[in-house]
Amino acid sequence: MSEANEKTRSLWHDTWDILKRRKIFWISLVLLVLFLVMAAFPTLFTHKDPEFAELARSMEPPSKDAWFGFDLQGRDVYARTIYGARTSIIVGTLATLGTVLLGGVAGVIAAYRGRWIDSLLSRVGEMFLGVPYVLGAIIILGTVAPVQSNPTKTMIMGVVIIVLAVLGWPVLMRIARSAVIQAKHQDYVQAARALGAGPFRIIFKHLLPNSLAPILVYSTITIGSYIGAEATLSLLGIGLRSPVISWGIAIADHTRYIRTGAHAMLFPAAFLSLCVLTFVMLGEAVRDALDPKLR
Amino acid sequence: MGRYAIRRLLQLIPVLLGTTFLINFMVWQLPGDPFAARCGQRACPDSYISAMREQFALDQPILVQYWHFLKNLLSGDLGVNFNQVSVATQLADAWPITIRLALMAVAFEAIVGIAAGVLSGLKRGGFLDNVITISTLLMLSLPVFVTGFILQWLLGVQLQWINPTVSPEAPLSELVIPAFVLASLNLAFTARLTRTSIVENRRSDYVRTAIAKGMTNKRVVAVHLLRNSLIPALTFLGTEVGSLMSGAIVTEGIFNIHGIGGLLFSAINNQDFTIVVPVTSLLVLIYLVTNLLVDLLYGVLDPRIRYE
Repeated sequence: MSEANEKTRSLWHDTWDILKRRKIFWISLVLLVLFLVMAAFPTLFTHKDPEFAELARSMEPPSKDAWFGFDLQGRDVYARTIYGARTSIIVGTLATLGTVLLGGVAGVIAAYRGRWIDSLLSRVGEMFLGVPYVLGAIIILGTVAPVQSNPTKTMIMGVVIIVLAVLGWPVLMRIARSAVIQAKHQDYVQAARALGAGPFRIIFKHLLPNSLAPILVYSTITIGSYIGAEATLSLLGIGLRSPVISWGIAIADHTRYIRTGAHAMLFPAAFLSLCVLTFVMLGEAVRDALDPKLR
Repeated sequence: MGRYAIRRLLQLIPVLLGTTFLINFMVWQLPGDPFAARCGQRACPDSYISAMREQFALDQPILVQYWHFLKNLLSGDLGVNFNQVSVATQLADAWPITIRLALMAVAFEAIVGIAAGVLSGLKRGGFLDNVITISTLLMLSLPVFVTGFILQWLLGVQLQWINPTVSPEAPLSELVIPAFVLASLNLAFTARLTRTSIVENRRSDYVRTAIAKGMTNKRVVAVHLLRNSLIPALTFLGTEVGSLMSGAIVTEGIFNIHGIGGLLFSAINNQDFTIVVPVTSLLVLIYLVTNLLVDLLYGVLDPRIRYE
């Protein structure tokens, strides 16, 4: 095994040693697995149909056979909350993946090429950062969303995913850029270049593996914040819409009934918060373990 | 310093131009007819549409439109919205409320956030530190609107300590809880940033020297440690003023406050871009200028930082 490889392994090894002693890491890991299973196999948790509506039971409070009660349309809140996990996980993960791809590629190119490409990409990034997040999403979604008529579930989710990624990439570009710039001047990269390695080999074999840690930490936390962002946009009425089942929509549909039937809103809100918390906690635990300064 | 400020101001121009162009482009050029739903169930008469298109110069190419926008903005003329109501008047009604809300939120962030950060950083690993770390983690994870609805439900509906919605005049006392909700996320960030830099700086040479010189603990913390540790927190607070304004969209929605956020949101829902474009442009301008001010403040706080 080459020396560079062994060095990478020992960093992860170190990190693992610290992580496995942290209680918060295990808690968030268990919660993460729980949410992933919920997203993949919702029928393990509930046998009720989340679409089945019985208007007569509209806004019925929690009871023994419906733990979380019924929503405005008389649908089972528990079933809808369980099924909502899938939407949130998919939107959060795919949007983060898009952010990492867009921002990572831009950051690596900016740092590796330098000069005018770097300034151009940095300025463009600043323009995107110049539009505050919610504002940018409102502008794009407010103008794009009304165009689609009879959208499918995939289309509704796709638009939100793309918007989150398009608005989020500059932050990741900065992280990737500074990580690559730091690594670029290391001796092993100079040595690789002296040995005649091409730009692709240097980027994929040497620069990326060493920039992975900060990107990984940031993306874990980002999945959490994107899940929150999706719910915020859905709440504003410009994110996801029915027929998609999501925590954000459930909260949005019942904000006006906060005085009479808070249960239809509080349960999805609790799941949403717990899910965001899981990703943020996990990301922070890994970051603290990776960062020797904070020990 | 003077030259640096001027250079930074000049650098602001391309970013501002780019951002406003982006906003104009997205709003006016993306597919979708802004007049499609303006006449209720029926389609609008052609005469109305063509008159509107001419008034708002929608038939011109995007660059000409953008030029008109810039010219009007610089001369302070914000025009009228699709219902022929002056945009400037609507802004004048909404600004004071949002400014009040945002200033209170910044005050919360600065006072509570920094105090919590300093306390937990000084007593690292102690009980208070753990309490603060856990509560900031919770604040970071709860989306702002969840915090808002929970406080509204708990304090407004269950305990009835506050009015769940804010009256149109929006007096300061009614804005306390909304401002706290608006501040919550950044408050947690501020506390964490302050804590981290306090923890780092406590091990630094100048603190050791100050202690070795026999200074009282109070003076070391207040004069030496704080001044150096506050820089990241203040930077963060400054750069986030802009996003605070847009975060107000959600908060103002929850508590029914008639500020900029509410104005912007109803404009989006009504597809009235004549308000969306100037308001978002102004928000971006505020964001960029506060960033610049923060950068210039660096040198005042930390004389080691020199501008070139």
